[in-house]
Amino acid sequence: MSEERFHLPPLARAGHASHCKRCLSGLPGSQSEVDASKLALSFYCIGSLDLLGAMDTTSQTDRQSWKDWIWEQQTKGRHGSGFRPSSFMTPRPGLGSSETYTEYDTPHIIMTYTALLCLSILRDDFLKLDRAGIINFMRACQRDDGSFSIVPGSNETDLRTLYCAFAISHMLNDWSGVDTTRAAAFIASCRTYEGGYGQAPFCEAQGGTTYIAIASLHLAPQLQKPPLTLVERQSTIHWLLQNQDQSGGFCGRTGKDADACYCFWCGATLEILDAKHLIDANSLVRFLASCQFKYGGISKAPGETPDPYHTYLSLAALAMYPPGQDVAHNEAASWRIEPIDPLLNATKETVKWAREHIPA
Amino acid sequence: MPSVSRNSQSPLDTPPLFSERPEWSDITPLDQYEDANPVAPIFYSADYKDATDYFRGVVKTGEKSERVLDLTERVIRLNPAHYSAWQYRYETLIALGSPLDVELKLMDELAVKFLKTYQVWHHRRLLVTLTRNPAPELKFIATSLKEDAKNYHTWSYRQWLLAYFNDEDLWQGELDFVEMMTTQDVRNNSAWHHRFFVVFQSGLREGETDRARVIKRELTYVKHNISLAANNPSAWNYLRGILDANNIPYADLGEFVKPYATSPQDLPVSDLVDLENPPPAKGAELPCAPAIEFLADIYEKQGGQDGLRQAAELWRSLADEHDTMRKKYWEYRTRDALKT
Repeated sequence: MSEERFHLPPLARAGHASHCKRCLSGLPGSQSEVDASKLALSFYCIGSLDLLGAMDTTSQTDRQSWKDWIWEQQTKGRHGSGFRPSSFMTPRPGLGSSETYTEYDTPHIIMTYTALLCLSILRDDFLKLDRAGIINFMRACQRDDGSFSIVPGSNETDLRTLYCAFAISHMLNDWSGVDTTRAAAFIASCRTYEGGYGQAPFCEAQGGTTYIAIASLHLAPQLQKPPLTLVERQSTIHWLLQNQDQSGGFCGRTGKDADACYCFWCGATLEILDAKHLIDANSLVRFLASCQFKYGGISKAPGETPDPYHTYLSLAALAMYPPGQDVAHNEAASWRIEPIDPLLNATKETVKWAREHIPA
Repeated sequence: MPSVSRNSQSPLDTPPLFSERPEWSDITPLDQYEDANPVAPIFYSADYKDATDYFRGVVKTGEKSERVLDLTERVIRLNPAHYSAWQYRYETLIALGSPLDVELKLMDELAVKFLKTYQVWHHRRLLVTLTRNPAPELKFIATSLKEDAKNYHTWSYRQWLLAYFNDEDLWQGELDFVEMMTTQDVRNNSAWHHRFFVVFQSGLREGETDRARVIKRELTYVKHNISLAANNPSAWNYLRGILDANNIPYADLGEFVKPYATSPQDLPVSDLVDLENPPPAKGAELPCAPAIEFLADIYEKQGGQDGLRQAAELWRSLADEHDTMRKKYWEYRTRDALKT
């Protein structure tokens, strides 16, 4: 299939960048759900611009105001410091807001991870980062079973939060906030007979959580290397590759329909496992090309509505799996994406900045 | 009766704004803090702004009362991902000693309405942990799966419920339940996964202690299902799962697998039905990739020049004809096997 030539439309770079800029400038009321995860949405938008090499098409004023807003989400209090999703639970000052957060607007571990990445993309100097507070916050989030809750004291937990704690520790170059041994045991308990990982013990193998599990195991320097046995590695690679279906896209679970985001989750995991060369990249590109929305943005499947999440993850997948030289003569330039670090999920330049500026 | 009005609120009703209700006049609504230039500002609807202004006001005073249940329900209906509203609602229910069965009834509606929201399921877990009455939940889950038979949250909830309460009676109907689900859709991987969890990951229950018999039963089940739909990766993954978990050589399944890895015209015609090795259904598209791969694994394991030659031949047929999407993978397997 990959040997055959196929017509490849250009990657609509300007359209995808506009889609993200539009979201950054405002969302309709029907998107109120974003209140509780605004920083993650900001990361998908700003991250898409970074992958497209389009940060210099944004104004210095915009970049400064994004930074200011993100820093405003850093809060401190009795569980330590970190970033909240947005100020959706914070009343206007003067009406009784206090210096420290309440139990209802604490930092959120996923948002803290995305905030560090956003600020790295914006090349912030991190002078305002409360590192010690973040370490305390992660300690407050880790549970007895090794997993992490989204906010301190909550029972809501799954592998996503564990990855965020690991990524934050990696960026801080300080692992004193997490018990990696207990965390690794939790990851192991999520492994399934199919070769992937579920989001909690006993759950079905899923592409996103498999990325989370494998990336986490590779982020922690103190865990044994390689973290998987030969047999485990083979079965994970097998399951991941099995998820590429006839559309060329990847599905998240055995037998489900392909979804653009799993081109990243499965594709990045394969890269981490050093098995990148086994993917049929041209078919993956063809699928993502068909997910482009004609007015900009990329959707989960052809004909669906685009959003920053699928736009970002599709571009991130393309950063690892560009079309081969055999298919992309005319449009090759349009498909060039900035190289990505598959473990932290940001461009290599941004990760370099993070590693140089986030540690104490 | 506040609890009645709470539950009779139909999704189509647009209740009056809290700022227009005299009974809320004692609460000071609190605007959301926002500096001049928020990233991705949301143009809130009047309803949402009103409800969240009052919610912030209530959180400020720490009030936990019946009317707070109305307020948090309103916020949740407008934004089911509002985890602080869920958290405050839960604390209010506990503080009031509210009847949790009433709350669960409301959740029956919201779970289906907001099937893909984490918080709906999280809240439900908290409630059931307190009521300690998991049995009715199995029925609720079955109903909820009618909306979406592969919903991840719904299945996770079922797995959690069974493992958390680990009650003999709860487990009893699980195999029948899975069978019902795979009968509706033999390609529902969530159901296959659930079966693996029930049979191999949840300890030894009464009636399941004779493992040789259990393994035989599972092999019969999966072989039967493969015979109905040969090209079903979920069933083949399950078959491999049984063998791997119990250290059974793949070669034991050689007789069963071969017809599925063979072109129909090459199959011997036989009227004898071998119950151990059910043949492919008439009209099945053969050979199928999962069977070819399985057979190649047997030959690879057998090793020696002959074994590897036969494995390599099968991998080539996958690479060139039956599974071309994974051409690079099959070529890699061939190189890898010949290297050793």
